[in-house]
Amino acid sequence: MRRSIQFLLFTAVNLTLFTLLPLHASHSRRINDAELKVQAARLRGLQLTDLCLSSEARYTRHPALADRHAAFQEHPLALEHFPSGSLILPSIPQRESR
Amino acid sequence: MIELASITKSFNSGRPNQFTAVDNVSLMIEPQKVTVLKGPSGSGKTSLLTMIGCMARPTSGRIFLHGIASALPSQQDQAGSLEITSLPERFLNDIRRVTFGFIFQQFNLIKGISVLENVMLPAYPTGESRADFRGRAEELLEMFSIGRHAGQRVELLSGGELQRVAIARALINNPSIIIADEPTAHLDSKLSYEFMEIVGKLKEAGKTIIIASHDPIVYDAPLVDVLVDMRDGAIVSSGRDR
Amino acid sequence: MKTTLERHLNILDFTLASLLRRKGKNLSLLTIYLLVIFMLASLVFFVTALKREAAIILEDAPDMVVQRLVAGRQDLVPTKYAEAIASIRGVSKVRPRLWGYYYDGLNGANYTIVADDDSVTEPESAMIGSAIARSRKVTVGDLLPLISYEKVPLMLQISSILPAGSDLMAADLIVISSEDFQTLFNFPAGQATDLAVTVRNPKELTTIASKIAQLFPDSRPILKSEILRTYQAVFDWRGGMTVILLSSALISFIIFAWDKATGLSAEERKEIGILKSIGWSTPDVLLLKFWEGVVISLTAFLLGVVLAYGHVFFLSAPLFAQALKGWSVIYPSFRLSPVVDGYQLAVLFFLTVVPYTTATIIPCWRAATADPDTAMRS
Repeated sequence: MRRSIQFLLFTAVNLTLFTLLPLHASHSRRINDAELKVQAARLRGLQLTDLCLSSEARYTRHPALADRHAAFQEHPLALEHFPSGSLILPSIPQRESR
Repeated sequence: MIELASITKSFNSGRPNQFTAVDNVSLMIEPQKVTVLKGPSGSGKTSLLTMIGCMARPTSGRIFLHGIASALPSQQDQAGSLEITSLPERFLNDIRRVTFGFIFQQFNLIKGISVLENVMLPAYPTGESRADFRGRAEELLEMFSIGRHAGQRVELLSGGELQRVAIARALINNPSIIIADEPTAHLDSKLSYEFMEIVGKLKEAGKTIIIASHDPIVYDAPLVDVLVDMRDGAIVSSGRDR
Repeated sequence: MKTTLERHLNILDFTLASLLRRKGKNLSLLTIYLLVIFMLASLVFFVTALKREAAIILEDAPDMVVQRLVAGRQDLVPTKYAEAIASIRGVSKVRPRLWGYYYDGLNGANYTIVADDDSVTEPESAMIGSAIARSRKVTVGDLLPLISYEKVPLMLQISSILPAGSDLMAADLIVISSEDFQTLFNFPAGQATDLAVTVRNPKELTTIASKIAQLFPDSRPILKSEILRTYQAVFDWRGGMTVILLSSALISFIIFAWDKATGLSAEERKEIGILKSIGWSTPDVLLLKFWEGVVISLTAFLLGVVLAYGHVFFLSAPLFAQALKGWSVIYPSFRLSPVVDGYQLAVLFFLTVVPYTTATIIPCWRAATADPDTAMRS
């Protein structure tokens, strides 16, 4: 087989996989979300406010409730030391805008 | 037939280092004949060849192709003549691709790809089906007895083999005119004679052949029909009698 | 039509043959390119999915949380605040929440302790998150001793373990009775960590919040919309240290690609000259270079995105998990619901494939427009 056809076939396979992504996503979302909603309803009584992603620092365990006005707030751009801080930013004060 | 009418080619015109490579040359090149442009280096042979081959435009003068350029019927007049000096670039390219085959002094083969692919290269942009020109390329390689090297990369070939690959490449689009610029400059005498044998075959096959050379093996060969002697950009003598 | 297709196929053939000549160089370029796209796409997938998950989970969050500040730091809220807030018109329910953090010296983990008398009715019993059960290797019926602030061990019997499906909310939770909570932390009676406020009409939230702020100047109301907004802002693939690391990777890739694509070597220039001299036109040469850019960048883009999808949604993003996990011992095992954001992928496409292909074509322009007879004169 000539090279161009080989390449185009290869790209066609890639493209098919690529277009299958949203299909797979919507399919498995339907299954996952149902389970998630059941669990969330079960814990409704606890009135939780945050996701449990990282339990190493207060502001990454409860970003929504972190005391954001404390002095020396750690911030990812300040190259702080919590690794999870590279993905979770401290919350931005939004009160002033109100 | 190719007709050159008062062709002049100047470089760096209007500047102090201006020089005229070809000076007011008029020439008729007859079809299915071997024409050799003879002369020392700097005599304007190569410049003339590039203009005939639609690679460069003359500074002044006109070039006509009579009954050759079948690629562009719409551009021709009733007599089948085509004035190529005023054609836009894209038409010139189409004419060049199907009408002319070029053999260069340096062979100008592309390193790293196979002999077969080098031969097929001029056919790629024509839009012809690969199976067609591949068959033709294999035939040409067989004809020049280098078929066994088809899959090899060009760096591994000897000088004579390279020359034959370059000739096969010039023939891939089945042109009616072959243009060769100093084809024997990098060949020894034996290979030069072999080259002239191939030229003889091409002539028999009905090709028009134009060679620029200052090698006696070329211009003294019996199969040469017309010898054009050039010096300082002008024709000194031209004729069948040598 | 047929000849146009054949022309493209023929030129693509030559492009591939030409790329294969410098196999090592082009393969390493493809690999680096692939890696950059893979990282960026992984990040896009990861944070978009997390944002969405957060939105679903936080639908059940309280309408408002009221904290109290003392000297600029969060402090305990007296429960009498709750009564006063409950009397504000429009407030349907105020629930004092008791929660805090507990450091387990045994395995170095931080737990979140929540008091809830509805889920845990028995004293000295606890409902725990599945990650704690995994980490401490305990099951239902086992004892989980926590050391109280009085240095007295509080022996909690595990009454139930939350399913792994709730890890994203509760992996590190220990739910105990409020009485045990007060014992554990020596927590003063009549105080709460914060107040969860439910209102009748969510549209009145801001009005109620300002009323609370007026009533108790030391209070800090946090609205549900703000919590949601926090999560939208917090998970941003353009934020955090990731962006610093990625931008440095991206910049070095750009330098590499720029050098590769624009630095037209003398050899390449000569090749273009040869192609021109044997009858290739300027558009043919540019088409060749176009395909060269497309072959590398399209392959890297498609493969990178597909691999990133697998990485995030089938393997649960092990590369980011390391960063998210950090030093925490308790880590949720969650499988994200996949989301493919067409807009974000389009941005990625236009940030990578288009500039690369352009950078491959542009420098050839001059070489390709040169007169075909230059090759003859070399």
